[in-house]
Amino acid sequence: MSFREINSKMVEARLAPGQRLFSQRGAMLAYTGEVSFTPNLQSGQGGVMSMLGRRVAGEAAPLMTVEGSGTVLFGHGGHHVHVITLTGDTLYVEADRLLAFEGSLRQGTMFLGSQGGVMGLVRGQATGQGLFTTTLQGHGAVAVMAHGGVFELPITPQRPVHVDPQAYVAHHGEVRNKLSTALGWRDMVGRGSGEAFQLELSGHGTVYVQASEEKL
Amino acid sequence: MSGYASAGGPVVFDPVTLPADDNVNPYTFCVELKGSQWFLQKGKMIAYYGSIDFNGIGHGRLDRLVRTSFHSPLHASDWVVAEGSGKMLLADRAFDVNSYDLDQGNLTVRAGNLIAFQPSLALKQSIVPGFLTLIGTGKFVAASNGPVVFMEPPIRVDPQALVGWADCPSPCHHYDHAYLTGVMGGLRAMTGIGGASGEEHQFEFTGAGTVLLQSSETLMAEPSTGAVPSEPGVPGGGAAGPMGSGTGASGVPRLPGQLGDLQRRFGL
Repeated sequence: MSFREINSKMVEARLAPGQRLFSQRGAMLAYTGEVSFTPNLQSGQGGVMSMLGRRVAGEAAPLMTVEGSGTVLFGHGGHHVHVITLTGDTLYVEADRLLAFEGSLRQGTMFLGSQGGVMGLVRGQATGQGLFTTTLQGHGAVAVMAHGGVFELPITPQRPVHVDPQAYVAHHGEVRNKLSTALGWRDMVGRGSGEAFQLELSGHGTVYVQASEEKL
Repeated sequence: MSGYASAGGPVVFDPVTLPADDNVNPYTFCVELKGSQWFLQKGKMIAYYGSIDFNGIGHGRLDRLVRTSFHSPLHASDWVVAEGSGKMLLADRAFDVNSYDLDQGNLTVRAGNLIAFQPSLALKQSIVPGFLTLIGTGKFVAASNGPVVFMEPPIRVDPQALVGWADCPSPCHHYDHAYLTGVMGGLRAMTGIGGASGEEHQFEFTGAGTVLLQSSETLMAEPSTGAVPSEPGVPGGGAAGPMGSGTGASGVPRLPGQLGDLQRRFGL
């Protein structure tokens, strides 16, 4: 089972008995067959401790468990939807951008300070990620939401990618990111270019960028 | 969609190259008038070529038109008639716009989504509040948030994602009974712990037909479909039958999914 993009704003998931999906609450548009939607107290996988972790981290987006057999259509708020298929690596994404993901993926929370210390925290503030971000690991598909269309940029060791922090959606792979600043005296007197902060991603992987600087 | 596109630049249209009764882009629809008439909702025309008159309906010489193809006289003031010759562009707040052809058919659409229709169609208020039914042969234009997706019943649809339906005689509410009742359901309702999945209530469609979905849960502003006659037996008509409509004996509106008060269950 995986997600099929019906149009730019809607995905279809086929559910077989025994499989399960997690999706953002209220994001179901329609379904056929016998499917049940259960609100997920822990807002994701894991036990009580991972729930507490997510609550503390502010990554507790309201999720629901989708089980049964049939076809479910997902979409939310008129946002564009992009399906990312993971083959064993880890996707880093904000919890409120998750539209739906397969139950075969392992969900976790990551402290941005563990990636670059204080600069990681500054980076989190600048990108709007906060201090924590959600990780999804394993084999399966994820549908993420973005404002405007999404395009992917490959990251190779020779070619690091610079992304506007507001247009950053998600990334996966072995990627180091750091916030590069180009602050000058012009920014101090309010005559900056508006591009003083950039996210620099280097390593092996892919970064997903939305065609808008509007947050969800 | 011809037009002389300069390399990579925007397409420039003139009265000849504008499409006739077709989409200019996903967000704009062009109607060609040749002495004919179209009904449109107020404020949806964005530009026109030629000489086109826009008249409010419901009075004067358009009275006959209202009588033949407009059966919701109580909200006729929300609509205007465009007549003349020329080309007219319709759009609605950058929502996706689509035209639909009916051939001796019927289609019920959310009142806020309908933009314009040909007078060969008859517009009637649906028994379902907030919806309008088009019957007959002709073309109409409707807006939706995101492209419209057509699905076959049986299907259950989130109320906000429903744009309309054709030929399905059985739109009805579906409640997730297992979720709303029982010990856990009661606990959730009392404490709020556990929250709602937001999906305990859908519209269900069965039988032969087509259901139209929009790709997001953002609704159009809902215009009034007009009051319905205040008669017993008319849903939303105000004059309640002996059992009341939606309100219990105490006059408190019932929550969705609530099964009914104890008096009714025990037949008191």
